[in-house]
Amino acid sequence: MNWLIQALNGFSFGALLYLLASGFTITFGLARVANMTHGGFYLLGGYLGFSVLRWTGNFWLAMLASGAGIVIFNFFFERYLIRRTMDNVLAQVLLTVGVTYVIADITLMIWGSDPLRIRPPAFARGPIELPFDILYPRYRFLLILFGVIVGAVQWILYKKTQFGAVIRAGVDDREMVSAMGINVDRLFAIVFALAAFLAGVSGMIGGAFLTLYPGAEWEILVLALVVVIVGGLGSLEGAMLGSLIVGLVDAYGRWLLPDFSYFMVFAPMAILLLFRPTGLFGKEH
Amino acid sequence: MQQRQWIYLFIGIAIAALIPAFLGTYWISLLLQILIYGLLALSVDLLIGHTGLVPLGHAAFFATAAYTTAILQVRHAIPSIIAAPAGVLAAVLLAVIFALSVRTKGVYFMLVTLAMGHIIWGLATSWVALTNGDNGITNVPLPAVGPVEITSLKEYYYVVIVVVGLCFPGYRILIRSPFGLTLRGIRESDSRMDSLGYHVAAHKFAAFVMSGFIAGTAGVLYIYFNRFISPDTAWLHVSFDALFMTIVGGSGTIIGPFIGSVVVHVMKNVVGTYTGQWLLIMGLVFIATVLWAPYGIVGLIRRLGKPDEAAGDPEACGDTAPTEGA
Amino acid sequence: MDQIAVELVGLTKIFGGLRALDDVSLRVPVGERRAVIGPNGAGKTTLFNCIAGSLSPSKGKNFLFGQDVTALPEHKRIAMGLGRTYQITNVFHKLTVLENVLLAVQGTQKQKWLFHRSVDSFPGSLEKAREQLARIGLDHRRDLPVHQLSYGEQKQLEFALALASDPKVILLDEPASGLAPSERQRIADLILHLPGDITVVLIEHDVEMALGLADQVAVLHQGRLIMDDKPDAVRLNPEIKEVYFGNI
Repeated sequence: MNWLIQALNGFSFGALLYLLASGFTITFGLARVANMTHGGFYLLGGYLGFSVLRWTGNFWLAMLASGAGIVIFNFFFERYLIRRTMDNVLAQVLLTVGVTYVIADITLMIWGSDPLRIRPPAFARGPIELPFDILYPRYRFLLILFGVIVGAVQWILYKKTQFGAVIRAGVDDREMVSAMGINVDRLFAIVFALAAFLAGVSGMIGGAFLTLYPGAEWEILVLALVVVIVGGLGSLEGAMLGSLIVGLVDAYGRWLLPDFSYFMVFAPMAILLLFRPTGLFGKEH
Repeated sequence: MQQRQWIYLFIGIAIAALIPAFLGTYWISLLLQILIYGLLALSVDLLIGHTGLVPLGHAAFFATAAYTTAILQVRHAIPSIIAAPAGVLAAVLLAVIFALSVRTKGVYFMLVTLAMGHIIWGLATSWVALTNGDNGITNVPLPAVGPVEITSLKEYYYVVIVVVGLCFPGYRILIRSPFGLTLRGIRESDSRMDSLGYHVAAHKFAAFVMSGFIAGTAGVLYIYFNRFISPDTAWLHVSFDALFMTIVGGSGTIIGPFIGSVVVHVMKNVVGTYTGQWLLIMGLVFIATVLWAPYGIVGLIRRLGKPDEAAGDPEACGDTAPTEGA
Repeated sequence: MDQIAVELVGLTKIFGGLRALDDVSLRVPVGERRAVIGPNGAGKTTLFNCIAGSLSPSKGKNFLFGQDVTALPEHKRIAMGLGRTYQITNVFHKLTVLENVLLAVQGTQKQKWLFHRSVDSFPGSLEKAREQLARIGLDHRRDLPVHQLSYGEQKQLEFALALASDPKVILLDEPASGLAPSERQRIADLILHLPGDITVVLIEHDVEMALGLADQVAVLHQGRLIMDDKPDAVRLNPEIKEVYFGNI
């Protein structure tokens, strides 16, 4: 039943990617900010969580810390840096790359270069028995559930609430929303904070099975971006479908053609580029 | 105007040619890095400064060319006369495939090229049978063409001076040509160019492949200089460095990317002697550039020279406007 | 039998729930000056976008000189001899005035692909560009970046861009909007003096100007063509008055 296990691997990795991709895609859709620092957020959040876990032994506290830490970081980052580059995408790229470099070196100084693994909480350790006699790591299985829950909550927020309706309107037409008298700044701030929280938390979650190490910030970011490319910028459904596709392709790629697993990820992207360059659910902007 | 530029070029080449007489291997090596990475940055700027596309994965072409030449020379003992052009060709072929990316614009293009660049790094790391993985390929010989054999770094230095020196007028003609003007029109407005009769996608494709050609040339120059290649050469930092060089030096100009290369390499060498935290410094410099010198050094100098033009756009006074009777 | 320059058959364009164009059929013979008028939102610019090819119609067909161009991309239609201006100036702000016109001149020529010779080495194109500029009185400002031009000058440049490729059909989208009276007169003169073998389709909000320049007038209202007749007939028609003049 190897292929089933690989599917589960794909789902769980996809769930992790979703946490990063959803934040990136909505942030871009709404505020036109291409926040490449998401990779740095992942790494920093993960390391923060690792340390808080070490000091307190409390996994939930650590997770909160990893998310909150990044929210605070992002607040200052956005206010004092990103705002100075509005609508200049080139400047934004350079800025966010620069900040990621800074995060990378500081985390290197503090936590060193050896890969660090975060110890999952007791209830998430060991295997879980699944149908078809499959034994699967409990942690990764719970990650799938977590991803689904986060996705569901986002979905409800996005599609069924007033708040979500305003964001959707903003993604469609930012000027309209601000002309309607809605406090666009506050809207952005909330969306940025949510994205930052997820990014930080994803670092801690990823740290449990992928480990944290210098370079991870880029490796995870690129895959999250492939999700966004495949799914379409600004689309939550796109991020969901995209993370599913990328997660599965990655898992099966590693299993069937380990030498070329990176190349496999290229395949869905290339297909999209040929037929739908703006992504599965992307809009022509 | 044109005469002045030729004079600058000759002075530059003359100075560069004299360096080995006065300074040692360290400086020759530094200059070689500046020239080679400057050429890579130039290839990036063909797209940024003249086509309006921001590629984030050009290290892919650089590394592919270098790996190809390295593998041919080291493993198959193929002479430079074939291995070198083969390297450039490999980069061009990769560019043809990756040119799929020009079907996207703006941020999409950046993300797609970033991913494509990273994929090449991934291949370099995992396709061990071909690339030797993280151990890389060593003992790449210096180039030799028939009876002419390069035997030292100093001699190779002159080869690079000649090649890069030839690139200057070549690139200048390219950007001042009707095709170059077309690219700048595309940079300003895709849709307007459509309505003037241009097949925009085809021009972007051509520009992308040309850019790959230049990056590949830089890659071949690199491998004979470094004589060793590993996946590190395909890592994102190399692409970002090239991007930074064109911005800090001055996008849309010919000398800008090379000035940027000087800045980066001097920084790395100076910073490197005091601290190992060069990523931190680079990051801070990126940030500082964005905040205080978004038009780069060339832009700053222009702005200082013409304070009343501060309202205008430095790019508009670049050396790309046609002048009649020149 | 007059050759037909532009023909639209049952052209319909639907955006979401909105019918921007509804079953529009039009025939413009070669050499005619056809005005398209109608209140805001009538679909005039959408019509132009469909004719030029920057928009694909939802239904219907599009012919240029008898050839079915419905599926032909915009740049190929331009190569067939089409030129257009935009209501909101769509010029290249960071390039110089001369570069703007040069781009327009070489747009329909193979020369645009050459990369081994400088633009300066094509005196024919430079001459042509300067001619165009002289005609609109901007030759002396040719080396200025366009963003330094006044709005009126940019509008004139827009006009020159459309003409630079020697089109056989030219679509003018409100060429005089936003201009001072003297500038409007200048544009009107330029349009009047266009060669007789060029077909001109003109959207103009200034109804009097449109009626004065046109051989025939098409009236659009909420995406439908409600009248297509001589200027005098349109001027006197009470229904048109209500739809259009009543809105002013």
